[in-house]
Amino acid sequence: MEAASSEVLLKKPGFVVGARKSWAIAVKDMKIYYFKPAILIFGALFPVTIFFAFMMGRDVKAVTLFPGLIALTLFFSTTTVAPFSIPWERMSRTFERLLFAPVSLTELAVGKTISSFVFGLVMSIVPLLIGVIFFGSSVAYIWALALGIILGNACLSNLGTLVSTVGSETPQNVMLLLNLVRLPMMFISGIFIPINQLPTWGRVISWFSPVSYVVDLLRRGLGFKDYFGPVISSLMLVAFGLAMFALSVLRMKSWNK
Amino acid sequence: MTDSHTGRASPNSAVGARELTKYFDSLLAVDHISFDVEQGELFGFLGPNGAGKTTTIRIFMNLTRPSEGSASVYGMDTVRDTLAVKSVVGIVPEVSNVFPEITALSNLTFTGALYGLGRREGASRAAELLSMFGLEEYSGKKAGQLSLGLKRRLAIAMSMVHRPRVLFLDEPTSGLDVTASRSIREIVRRLNSEGVTFFLTTHNMEEANQLCDRIAVINHGKIIAVDTPERLRQAASEARAIEVTFDRRPTEKEESGLAGIGGISGTAEAGESYRLFTADPESTLRSLFIFMEKHDLRARSVNTPGPTLEDVFVKLTSEEQEVGSSQ
Repeated sequence: MEAASSEVLLKKPGFVVGARKSWAIAVKDMKIYYFKPAILIFGALFPVTIFFAFMMGRDVKAVTLFPGLIALTLFFSTTTVAPFSIPWERMSRTFERLLFAPVSLTELAVGKTISSFVFGLVMSIVPLLIGVIFFGSSVAYIWALALGIILGNACLSNLGTLVSTVGSETPQNVMLLLNLVRLPMMFISGIFIPINQLPTWGRVISWFSPVSYVVDLLRRGLGFKDYFGPVISSLMLVAFGLAMFALSVLRMKSWNK
Repeated sequence: MTDSHTGRASPNSAVGARELTKYFDSLLAVDHISFDVEQGELFGFLGPNGAGKTTTIRIFMNLTRPSEGSASVYGMDTVRDTLAVKSVVGIVPEVSNVFPEITALSNLTFTGALYGLGRREGASRAAELLSMFGLEEYSGKKAGQLSLGLKRRLAIAMSMVHRPRVLFLDEPTSGLDVTASRSIREIVRRLNSEGVTFFLTTHNMEEANQLCDRIAVINHGKIIAVDTPERLRQAASEARAIEVTFDRRPTEKEESGLAGIGGISGTAEAGESYRLFTADPESTLRSLFIFMEKHDLRARSVNTPGPTLEDVFVKLTSEEQEVGSSQ
């Protein structure tokens, strides 16, 4: 083979170059998708509306609701960007642009996950600030709160990426599938009713939902009684996140058969 | 070109395929094709819609995997060395899939980042490409607001960000007006003269004729001929024709009489003219003039054009169909 003169071939595709490519994909997604009405409706308005619809008329102190509200906002916002952007780009064939370039599927999936992560991070901090500033929520363990928000976003953004690879190529169908997954998970993860108050079957199922561990860490962080404990919750979020990431990459690999 | 005994690519091969085959379930889209494209060559892949052209390009980009055989670029296997292959090739798909929501400049800098260019390097390359492709005034405009021709130019510019050595163009002028098509062809010629190897698919005979050094004719997933446009035309010399325009429109009886002139294998109307296919134009011309004398027809013009690439294509594909039906 003749020595290739392309500048790029001379560069070794190391970790830094790979990270730069992933970041470029994430920044492009931020520019294009963060202010799309569908993202704002499903990622921000939807969870807040559901939460208040469920809690209205219940005789509970507002401050006790914030772990659930933050978790719900985090859950919906971080799982919305990739399931919208990936099928949207596959439908308009701009996704192929990413595949034309020497970008590995891992770098691509990381890029998509970062854009979901950042959106979820920003959106979940909003109810936290509202709780602290206006409703007297207090942060008891900042490390638990930080773990809940960071690991929760990192893990659940992979759920969004995974769902986007399973569904069809139209955003509408993928969003439909996504809500089929999200809505039942809401009720078995301790968002509205703490896990220790669920019936036995509910407590068993809650182990299979990564959202349960997010809620658990947030409850600890905001000074409420937790169920799993921070170590189990953190480890489970890491395990769920890695497993869903690996599955997403495997699913993407199957696209070029 | 290809060493038919060893099945190896020639040392100068930029793009090569060996027994490349692709099935989509039971549909055979690409049928054991082999070819080589030399470095700096402008190679055309000519065939009707659904012939297997785009599937072949997608295999080279590893967007779809071959069922059998192999494809290589500069000796690198497109499946095994996919990232290395993508570093030296660029592709412009039939649909200009630029990101419509961001500006022309952002499309270029983003593409640069995907190829590992740093921010400063990417910005400088983007500016260079905007100037090279006459897109400077559209730099800040969202790509979705550009005309089809400008989008295609932007798509080609995006494919050139990393200075590829091989460029795959899928139907580069499809859907474009005459001016935009001409501008794209000029760009292709210029880049080719600078040393970029081109693999171009088209169903436009004239485009293949004007641009390509060599053409592979593909139909039903099979390559049925590979040669220079000139040699392909020579190969179809029996498809020669006499083109005649009469001073008045012949009657139906006269038209059927024309078809019955000795030596004429077929006729076709082309606007006001009649195309009379013959293997021996000289003798047929004599018979034609006798026929005209007899029917009081005068010729406004008479030509004996060589076979066009379209004639070649029709001949080759009809031969292939005959072989297929006789088996």
